Amino acid sequence: MLEVKNVSKTFNTASGPVHALKDITFKVNTGEFVSIVGKSGSGKSTLLSILGALDTPTDGSITVDDTAIEKLSGHQQTKYRGKKIGFVFQQYNLIPNLTALENVVLALEFGGYPATSRVDRAVKLLESVGIEEDQQHRRPTRLSGGQQQRVSIARALANEPAFILADEPTGNLDSATGKKIFDLLHDLSRNQNTTIVVVTHDLDIAGKTDRTFTIVDGKITTK
Amino acid sequence: MNVLTRGVKNTLRSPIRSGAIVLMFAISIALILSMLVARSSVLSKIDEVKATAGTSVTIRPAGVMGNMGGGDPLTAEQLSTIKSTDHISATTMTLSDQLSSDDTSLESSLEFGGFGQRQRESSSSSESSTQAGGAAMQMPTPGITVTGTTDVNSVSTDGSDLNITSGETIDTDSSDNVALIGSTLAEKNSLEVGDTFTAYDQTITIKGIYETDNRFQDSGIIMPLATLQSLTDQADVVSTVVATVDSSDNVSATVNSLKSSLGDDADITSEVQRAEESVSSLEGIASLALAGVIAAAIAGAAIVLLAMIMVVRERRREIGVMKAIGGTDGKVVGQFITEGLTLTVFGAVIGMVLGILVSGPMTTSLVSSQNTINTSQRGGMATRGDSTSNSSTQRPQGGPGGFEGGFQQLQTNATQVTASLTPDIIAIALGVTLVISLIGTAIPAWFTARVRPAEVLRTE
Repeated sequence: MLEVKNVSKTFNTASGPVHALKDITFKVNTGEFVSIVGKSGSGKSTLLSILGALDTPTDGSITVDDTAIEKLSGHQQTKYRGKKIGFVFQQYNLIPNLTALENVVLALEFGGYPATSRVDRAVKLLESVGIEEDQQHRRPTRLSGGQQQRVSIARALANEPAFILADEPTGNLDSATGKKIFDLLHDLSRNQNTTIVVVTHDLDIAGKTDRTFTIVDGKITTK
Repeated sequence: MNVLTRGVKNTLRSPIRSGAIVLMFAISIALILSMLVARSSVLSKIDEVKATAGTSVTIRPAGVMGNMGGGDPLTAEQLSTIKSTDHISATTMTLSDQLSSDDTSLESSLEFGGFGQRQRESSSSSESSTQAGGAAMQMPTPGITVTGTTDVNSVSTDGSDLNITSGETIDTDSSDNVALIGSTLAEKNSLEVGDTFTAYDQTITIKGIYETDNRFQDSGIIMPLATLQSLTDQADVVSTVVATVDSSDNVSATVNSLKSSLGDDADITSEVQRAEESVSSLEGIASLALAGVIAAAIAGAAIVLLAMIMVVRERRREIGVMKAIGGTDGKVVGQFITEGLTLTVFGAVIGMVLGILVSGPMTTSLVSSQNTINTSQRGGMATRGDSTSNSSTQRPQGGPGGFEGGFQQLQTNATQVTASLTPDIIAIALGVTLVISLIGTAIPAWFTARVRPAEVLRTE
């Protein structure tokens, strides 16, 4: 379970402090598929960074399965990200000179997966998201946007994470491909009991998730 | 695939850029190696030339060279000053004189010849002019050189022991009227060991006959110093002192000390000084080579450093993603260090091979170009010799002989530099390469470690 309690984030800028997040509190149950919607600059990405242990809150706590991630050291947070969190980005962010298979293997390596079975697992993951064998050995530039996002999802699933954080996962895709990717995430949530938090501005997508949080000026307004 | 293989694979990401980096780095490594070889070879030659130069210092009355020139002999007081100078461990003193046919029963075995006649005419032109219109002069013969010495071996021009072909050497500490005579002079006068001749109105006994490879030398007479001083009425004075310095490291200081104490009354020269003059161009090459090593090392480090910084800046997002999905600083930094080291290893291997191939020709080229410059400068000085007669670097024109001939030999020796690649040089080159590689990769690695994934991903 993911529990966010009284989380605030303040950035000190030259023009004074900016309160990006203000006393945010919510819970996401295991296997739940939730969405966070909000306008640009509302604090969505900051919240995602804090949930993903990429940044630390100024106040409050984030607990994942009894682990307070804001109290982990930088190195521990990195290891934690590798094993417990899967990221799916709007621009896919695959490593360009690695093949689809190697991108997934890389995540397995960072997560400490045994070297001898990394390739087998990566192949299975890619097949599970619909990447065929001939596509697995292609570099990202030789894959379509939808295929790249599928590889990105396979990479996010590599280490059986506690939850997946997806930042505008369909933002760069056409509506048909976007729907397929959304359906894939939905299936993961339902069939594999994977907790998924999606940040999106697409209200249609948000409406199909189990719950939707709306964030305005750093505050959660709807749960 | 692990950190190492990813790092190596990344170097092929942009083959043209990687190739250019490797090539530039290889050239800088080749330059480093070549310059190290040149420097090492030149320094070895400098040491070799200095080692063969000996530790002797020659002190003559100012203006004297052999039996030419003028000036007053060195006095007892000056000799005392020389002997008491620090670092002088031994002295050999000589007094030279010319026996004219009026002073001896011997007939000179030398003839003036064309060269000597011109010199004689030049030196006696004023005398001849006073006799203009008079009777034709009788053609004299050259004088016989008599050398009084405390060490008969010092008479030998090449530094070797005097070769006495018959009889025995003389006791140079005595003041007996005894002498060694040159083989040519002995033959000319049909003299043998035990025979006598007259000189300075005294009867001199021949104790031995010597022979050198020098006809001028073989036409002379050697006596104990005290004997010649007595015969020529020049008690306690000498024309040349050869002082032996305790160490080659102290020669320059000793020369300076002697110049300070004897002032303008004496001309002081040393083989080490001559050697230093002859190797001065080599020292210039050594300095140039060192500057080349430093410049090439800086260039090499800059190439790797800037290339890797460019790579890190270009791939900030990739670094951020790797950190976001669990890549620790160690693994991410390790990958970039591997990438940098792969480039430098390729560059170093190519550079080493290139350096080995070009170090010989480059050393030869450096030495010959420097010598060309020196020869050109020396030629220029000779041309303007009259107007710069007080130049310390000016050389008298005419054929070299004795000390000057030795100097030319030193110079010739100094230009014969052979480039040699030793394990030490390779070790130094590898060390420099390693330092460059570490500098070139450590700083970009530091930039890599500072990349915060949240900042990179926030820019989406």
